[in-house]
Parts: sequence; structure tokens; C-alpha cells
Amino acid sequence: MSNQKKRNFQIEAFKHRVVVDPKYAEKTWKILEHAIHEIYNHNASGLSFEELYRNAYNMVLHKFGEKLYSGLVTTMTSHLRDISKLIEAAQGGLFLEELNKKWNDHNKALQMIRDILMYMDRTYIPSTQKTPVHELGLNLWRDNIVHSPKIQTRLLTTLLDLMQRERSGEVINRGLMRNIIKMLMDLGPSVYQEDFEKHFLEVSAEFYRGESQKFIECCDCGDYLKKAERRLNEEVERVTHYLDTKSEVKITSVVEKEMIANHMLRLVHMDNSGLVNMFLDDKYEDLKRMYNLFRRVPNGLSTIREVMTSHLRETGKQLVTDPEKLKDPVEFVQRLLDEKDKYDGIISSSFINDKTFQNALNSSFEYFINLNQRSPEFISLFVDEKLRKGLKGVSEEDVEIILDKVMMLFRYLQEKDVFEKYYKQHLAKRLLSGKTVSDDAERSLIVKLKTECGYQFTSKLEGMFTDMKTSQDTMQGFYASHPELGSGPTLTVQVLTTGSWPTQPSVPCNLPAEMSALCEKFRSYYLGTHTGRRLSWQTNMGTADIRASFGKGQKHELNVSTYQMCVLMLFNNADRLCYKEIEQATEIPAPDLKRCLQSLACVKGKNVLRKEPMSKDIAEDDAFFVNDKFASKFYKVKIGTVVAQKESEPEKQETRQRVEEDRKPQIEAAIVRIMKSRKTLDHNNIIAEVTKQLQSRFLANPTEIKKRIESLIERDFLERDTTDRKLYRYLA
Amino acid sequence: MGIQRDRVKFNVGGRIFETTSTTLANAGRNSMFGAMFDGDWNFQSETENSGGTGTEYFIDRNPDCFSVLLDLLRTQELHLPPNIPEKLLYREASFYGLLDHVRSAKWGQFNGNRLRLSRSVAGQAPGDGTAIRAGPDGGCCVAHGSMVHVYDWMLEEHPPISLDFQRVNDVGWVDSENVVISVCERLGRGNGGMGLFSSSSGELRHRFQVNHDNQIKSFTAGALSFSQDYKIFSSCRGRSNEYGIGVWDQVSGKQVDFFYEPPGWSLGDADKLQWLNGNNCLLVATLFPRKDNCYISLVDFRERKMVWNWSDISAAITVDEKRVRDAIAMEESNSVCVVNEFEDLGFIDLRVNGGSVRWSSRSRLMKGKMPDEPCYPKLALHEGQLFSSMNDCISVFCAPDWVLTSRLRRSYGGSICDFSIGGDRLFALHSEENVFDIWETPPPPII
Repeated sequence: MSNQKKRNFQIEAFKHRVVVDPKYAEKTWKILEHAIHEIYNHNASGLSFEELYRNAYNMVLHKFGEKLYSGLVTTMTSHLRDISKLIEAAQGGLFLEELNKKWNDHNKALQMIRDILMYMDRTYIPSTQKTPVHELGLNLWRDNIVHSPKIQTRLLTTLLDLMQRERSGEVINRGLMRNIIKMLMDLGPSVYQEDFEKHFLEVSAEFYRGESQKFIECCDCGDYLKKAERRLNEEVERVTHYLDTKSEVKITSVVEKEMIANHMLRLVHMDNSGLVNMFLDDKYEDLKRMYNLFRRVPNGLSTIREVMTSHLRETGKQLVTDPEKLKDPVEFVQRLLDEKDKYDGIISSSFINDKTFQNALNSSFEYFINLNQRSPEFISLFVDEKLRKGLKGVSEEDVEIILDKVMMLFRYLQEKDVFEKYYKQHLAKRLLSGKTVSDDAERSLIVKLKTECGYQFTSKLEGMFTDMKTSQDTMQGFYASHPELGSGPTLTVQVLTTGSWPTQPSVPCNLPAEMSALCEKFRSYYLGTHTGRRLSWQTNMGTADIRASFGKGQKHELNVSTYQMCVLMLFNNADRLCYKEIEQATEIPAPDLKRCLQSLACVKGKNVLRKEPMSKDIAEDDAFFVNDKFASKFYKVKIGTVVAQKESEPEKQETRQRVEEDRKPQIEAAIVRIMKSRKTLDHNNIIAEVTKQLQSRFLANPTEIKKRIESLIERDFLERDTTDRKLYRYLA
Repeated sequence: MGIQRDRVKFNVGGRIFETTSTTLANAGRNSMFGAMFDGDWNFQSETENSGGTGTEYFIDRNPDCFSVLLDLLRTQELHLPPNIPEKLLYREASFYGLLDHVRSAKWGQFNGNRLRLSRSVAGQAPGDGTAIRAGPDGGCCVAHGSMVHVYDWMLEEHPPISLDFQRVNDVGWVDSENVVISVCERLGRGNGGMGLFSSSSGELRHRFQVNHDNQIKSFTAGALSFSQDYKIFSSCRGRSNEYGIGVWDQVSGKQVDFFYEPPGWSLGDADKLQWLNGNNCLLVATLFPRKDNCYISLVDFRERKMVWNWSDISAAITVDEKRVRDAIAMEESNSVCVVNEFEDLGFIDLRVNGGSVRWSSRSRLMKGKMPDEPCYPKLALHEGQLFSSMNDCISVFCAPDWVLTSRLRRSYGGSICDFSIGGDRLFALHSEENVFDIWETPPPPII
């Protein structure tokens, strides 16, 4: 059996899938390919969507997805190549329109193709990680049309040319531009950026480089800025009309760089129209424009700020050092205030209250105000002037405004203690002569100084006000206890606390007998009520009202200083007195006496005395007579003392010296305070800290600080370190 | 009443259906109907009248399924007559582009207290199951030994996945198209580690590598976790000192960080990683019996340090049964929930370092009732519901006091060795028979 006919086994492969038609895939694809042709030929109305969808579905289902996909790529590519030729053939201006038309057609076709191939898009493409149909269509358009060598450069030059024409004022078809640019954007950000934006920015930069060069040759600064602003706005508007919004920053930065940043210095320093001229000519609009444009570029604002600062410093320096302008302190301060007002106005209206500009303004003022050592004195004199008469009939608010402005200048002062010194002197004069216009204004200013510099700064000034008040009470008490004095001359005494007032030790003059008796009575009354005090008379500061009758019987009341009173009283017993006699009788110090005589004899209209020989100045051998011919239409005549309102040179020196003297204990106190907390400190640090601590009052001089340190070492407050000579130790 | 203008007539495989374009609009743009209509849901002129006679529109498909799908578009509900196989319906839905509609109508929004067993799927893998992971769209993958079987939401099996046929330690879904598996190192030959696979085709798309001192080293990848900022974390064991947590970028596939395990602590052996989105930290838990002690820590990769840690290393083990077997961080209540082998729940405060476990008093007396082949309990958290598997059932606890509210049990297949929640489904893998269950929430009631 076994070697009988062998059965031949034939093993056939199991037929896994029964394919109905081996050419099935090919046939199905032909149908779909035909449909794609028809769609591109605008002939889709004869197609059955259901049939095509089903065919595409079947191809994917029967694992012919790859064939379907690659067929799509091939077919679409060949169509796009044909389209590309048509676009290339378009003449001149029709080029963009043709491109736009074909692009719209392609989008429509792509939508239809995607609909037909939706099943492939949904299942085959994700699992094989291929490009979805829509994106594929865009990529093929990009590669075959936009990147085709004959179209790419032509498209770019056409677009750039149109934009160039628009910049030179022509009207272009913005809708078409928008569509084409939109196409580039749809093809992906890299296409827009690489194929268009990059070149657009380059060409724009070149254009604006040329234009700015042209403008800067022929325009003044203001006009140039106007043009730059207009160009900038044009570019922004262009972006909103037909470019990608992301391009706005890029193109504006190109314009900013070419038109502003590259010409910044030239614009600022332009002859007759640059920044300084804008300041001088109050061109607020131009300044505002410059600020807004320069703000956009790096270092723009700092350039403006530097020019403003140097201009301010220079003009300020002229203002404070010009001897012509120093003649009138009130004018001087007023000019400073006007200058400040002007720049405050510019900063608020043109520089949108930029803090950095305000700081620059402040530092400039601080710089030049302190260039003139007399600034503290002048500011105090300005206040004096205002509080003496300047504020009459001015409303309370306006007073406040003026005082605030003064405070602002005060803040710039480095030597605040010098101001204090002068202010004290001027205040004393105002208080003693009763010339203050408004007590409220005086107190208001003191409150301001207090908030600015602290209690210590104003305690003495406040003491002066207290003294005035107590003196009034004392006088009332005095007359109440001496009722018999009603008929004689009236004495008003102001008792001033030593130290609070800027009194100079002065030798009292010889008062007329009537007065000295009265003074004695007051002295005994005062010392009786206040034990342990010492009274000394400051005759150089008093005033007197005296009645006088002249030759023709005319009577006048004369308002004079105490010195003048002493001189005039001598003429009750004599007709003629020579200078020497007066000096002996009164014992008034010579410079004061001369001034006093000068005001009595040499001032026209107020010359109650007559002098021989007639001359402007007082000499030691002059003789004086009562001026019988004295006439005045007023009953009361005020005879001023010829006093230099400003301090004379020696007085100035003296004040300075006193200020320096006053600073010494303050510096020492600061050193001790610092060393007490630090225990040891090296030289440089101690200088720095002392300077910082005293800054609010004055700028301490390093050499002076060094002297004070040495003095403290001598007095065993500090010692030098034995090894490091630069190190100081505090000795408790 | 005038004539309704948006009526549409279909001839599907010989049967006439009439509907409205409004109903068809429910199919959405990405369906065949979306392609047939224009932007305003009017028939596109070019295709009109071309497929049938008169105003009919012919479709060469199964009319029974079309009727089911048309009802789905009308009511958003799926009612499948018994004579239609599910697979046929899915095929038809796929043709029209309505698969997503079918899926979302098939089961309702996940609620642990309304779950019903939907199906059990048996596989043919040898050995015990290692892990089951639910995918984001209702599919799952199951790891057995060195193989991972992937199922889509229709529970159709796709080609299985394996990385050099090494033992799989963990699986995770990056998205519905991609899964990552972590496997043991192939000793001496430098392979293993981690791979990214296509879930539908099973092909290897990327192999993750670890660099130590600029040298590529082979490693064993353990537990996996994914963060919302596209990072992948895995516990890694290399040679002696190359233990720690590796971090990769999901997009580039490149290693971006490696956090070495500090001495006296365990990270590279971790059983469980969990990314905490609110704290921007990774929970790393190494549990008994992989190590003799339990180590749970939070790692902050920005500060490059462990910001919180807990261990039972110093605690005297007086009560043997209180060994932590799984842990899960609950960010809402700032605590870590742990479970021991008797399904006692315990809580550790995340706000204080070095706190102790507060065991819940609701423990069950399980001693003596243990089955022959016990499985360690596992924990999962889903929108305020805590799930804990024990033996053959899964308990559901509700926030804030973690009250036991439901118990899911199916007696076939033995103990549950792992379970996972995702895509509004719960998958439970049994250890004895090679079978896993799918639990779903039924669609909401009609009224």
C-alpha cells in the first residue's frame, strides 16, 4: 500500500482576501483622478459626491490608502504646475490678479477634494502620520507656485513696487494686496516671513535711510519730526490694512531706527531749530512730538534729557553769576522761579510729566543755585520782601503758592543753615520793626520749614515769636505797676532771649536823659519780676517816634531809629553840632553814626538836618544844623536809615564766618553720633556718613570734617587705631 | 404652516429616509454630511440631484445601520437593535464619520456610584497581569509579562506591543495615539528601558535614553507618570549609583533632567509616580514589599529637591498588618491616602513634613478570610471619588470624609491585580483568569 500511488499534496496559499477585480484599485483611482481633474476644470457639477466618497472609502478600506494618497499628490502637483504656467504668462499688472484668482480657485477645489477624501483624512492619515489633505494642498501650492523660480521673485518685486508707489503717494489696490498677503500668511508664518517680510523690511530700511537723509538736509527739526511722525503713522496704517499684525512692531522699529535713532544727535543739535531753540521759543507741540518719537528708540529720551540738563545748567549759571542780574535779589529769585515755572510747564505739557525729566530739572536747579554763594541770602531777602509788602492784598491761596515756590527753591539749597542765618536776621528785623504783613503767612512758612527740615531747624524762629508775645505782656505789666508814667515819653521794650535772636554784642549808646531814666525803671521792674536774668540794651535795633517843630512852626512826627533819636535830641540844646561832638555825646559806633547822619541830612525830602559843607558823604569835620526849611506834605515822616539792603562785603564775610563757626559743633555732634554707634570706622566712611547726615542742612567740607576729627581726638573723644592710622575708635 | 424648506430625502441601500438638514447638522463639519452641505447646511449645488432620482440622495450603504445612526443624530442616544452586530454599526459610523458620536452616546459621564459591568474581555497572554491602563478616549492597554495588548474603545484589539521582549513594568498613554511602556534592562546587552509606540499600529516610534555624565546608559524603567506640560517621568535603575527619576520631553523625546536618589532613600525603585499639577511636584512612592520599608516623597524639579517625605523606616512595626501597600496624593485635601493589605485607609498630611499616618477607624476585620492568592490593594482617584481594589472587588469612597458608597464585584477571574479609570470607563484586570472587565456609567435617564 505504502509504495502505491503517492498522493501529491499541493499546499496552496490560503486566499486571505477575495479581491473581486485585480484592477479594482486602479479603476477606482481613475474615477477619483478624473473627478479631481473635473474639479480643477470647474466642471464638478456632473460629479456624484456619494460615489466619489464611497470610492475613496473603499480604497482606504481595501488598504490602498497609500495609492490614493500618492495619486492625490501627483495629480494635484501636475495641476498646480499648469496653473503656475498660466500665472507666469499673465502680463504686467494682471499678474497679481491672476495669482489671486487662481489661489481662490485652488482653495475651492481643495475644499471639494478634502470632502471627497474625508475618510482618508480621518483614518489613514493620522495612523500613518502623513500630512492632512488641506495642509497638503497648501504645501503643494507653496512649492509649485509661490516658490516656483519664475513667480517667486516677480511676486516679491511686484509687492514691494506697489508698496513703494503707495509710499510716494499713489493709490493702489489695497484689497488685492490684502488677499495676496493673506495667501502668504495662510501658507504658514515662515512663508510670509521668509518670502516677503524679510525683504519688505530691508527695502523699507533703505527707503527711509534715503528719505531721512534728504529731509535732514532741507528741513528744520520741527518739520523733520512732523514728517517722521507721519511716516510712522502711515506704516502702522499699512499694517492694519494689508499686513500681518505681527509686522507692526518690526516695520515701526525700522522707521524708528532709520528716521530717528540714526539722526538723533543731529536733530537735537540742529542750528536754529534744535532742542535748545524749542526750549527758547516755547515750541510745546514740537517738544511733545520729539518726546513721543524719541521715546521709541533706545537712548532717545536720555539724549533729550542730557541736552535739557546742559542747557538748563548753562542758562542757570549765567543767571546766577551775571553781576548785572545780582543787583536786585528779588528780581534774581523771581527769575529763578520763572525759569522753574517754564520748565515745569514743558515737562507737564510736552513730556507727560516724565519723572526722569523732573529729576533732571531738579538736579540742574540744585547745581546752579548752589553755584552762587549768595543764593540763600537772596532767597531769604525775597521772602523778606514778600512778607514786608509784597503780599499786601494778595489772597491766602496765592500767598501759599508763593511760599510753596520759595520752599521749592529752598529745597535745592545745599547750605540750608546759611539760609536759616539770614532768615533769622530778616525775620528779626521784620518782627522788631513791626513790618510783617501777615502773621499767618509768617507762621505758615515756619511750618513749611519745620516739615522740611525738622523741629530743630525752626525752634529758634518760633522762640522769636514767643518773645514778641511775652514782651507785650511784660509791657502791659510794667505800665500797670507804674501808673505815674502816663504823661512822659512812652517806652516799648522787647525782651529778646539771647541765642534765639541774631543779636550782635554792641556797645549801648548814650540815651537822652529822659529815656535812660525810663529804661532804668523798666530794668528794675523786669529784674524784680524775673530773678536771675540780665538785661542789656540793643540800642542799634530800636525805633522812636518823636515830635519836632521847625522854623516856621510847622510840626511833624518823625519816625526814626533809636540812634537817630539820640542825635536829634542833642539839637534840643544846640543849634550847631559838629561830627565829633555828636560822636562824643552819643557814643554811637562810627559806621552806624555815619549812616544815621547820612539819612538825616542827605536824603532829599527827609533832611531834617542840614550839613556843612553840602556833600553826599559824611566827613569827620562836618557840622550839622537843624534844617529850618524842612517841609513835607505829610504830618508823619518816616526817616529811613540808609541801610544796604544786601549785605556789604565785610558783613557778608562776617556772616559766612559765623556760619562756619556754627557748623563746627554740628559736625562734631554728627561725628560723635556716628562713632558712638559704630565704635570703629575708617576715614573715608566717616566722611561719607557725616556728609550724608548733614546733607539736609549743609554740604560739609571734608577738610573741615578732618579738622573736627582731629579736635575730637585732642579732646579724647576718639583715638586713632595703633596699627591702622586710617581707623578711628570711639572712646566712651 | 408653510412647507418645511430644509427637508432632505435619502435613499440608503434602497430604503427611503427623510430628515432635515438641521438634524444632519448635528453630525458636524467633519462628517460625510458636513461635506455634502455648504457652510449654511444647504445642499451643495454641484452634488445635488446627481446621486439619485428627483430630490432623493442615494447612498450605497446598509439601511438598518443608517436608521440607527439617523436616530442617534436626532436624539443623541444610541439604541442598537439585537439583529445588528455592534461591529457593523461601528463600521457604518466610521464611513459617515460618526464614530465619535457613537462613542459619546454609548456610555455616560463617569460616576463611581452608578457603574454597571459592560463587558469582560478575555485575552490569551500567559502569566499574571502586570498593569492595565485606561486610555483618554475609552480604550485600554494591558501588560502581561513582556507584552502589552492594546484595545481601542470599541474593544477591538490592535497589534500587541513589546520592547525587546523584556518584562514590562508600567504602561501609560501619552495621548489616544501613543503609549509609553517601561521595561526591564536586558542585562549585558544594553537594551530595555522605555519606548513610545503607536497605539493603533503597534510600531515603535521612539526609544527613550538615559545619559549619565554624557554617556548613554542602559536602564530598567519602573513606574511612569505624565505631566500637563508635556513631560514624562519614570523611576530608573541603572548601575549601582544610577538610581533616580528620569524626566523626558514628550515632544522632542529627549531627556531633560535626572534626579538622583539621595543616600538612605528610595526613588529609583519606586512603584508609583504621580504628577501633582497644583503643587508642581512629583509624588514618588516605593512600597513594601519591593523594599523592606516604605518611602513616599514629593520631588520639586525646579528647586531640585525633595520638598516632602514620609517613611516608616523609623516607626517600630508593632502591628504587622499596617504596612502601606499603595499611596495616592489628594491635592484637594492636601493629603496622601495610603492603604494596607487589609484595605484599611490611612491619611498623611502633605502640609507638614514627617507626619504620621492617621488610619481610618473604618477598617474591616479581614484576618483569616484571605483568599489563596491575594493581590495587593490598589488606589485610584477620580473627581472626588476614591477607589480601592481588594481581592475581587473595588470599593468606592466619596469625599470629603471618604465614606464607603459602592462596591463593584464580579466573581469570575479571581482577585483584581490592577485597575484604571479613564475615558469615562473603569477597567479591572483579574489575576487568575486572563480577563479584564469594563465598567461604564449608563447614559442618563430619559427624563
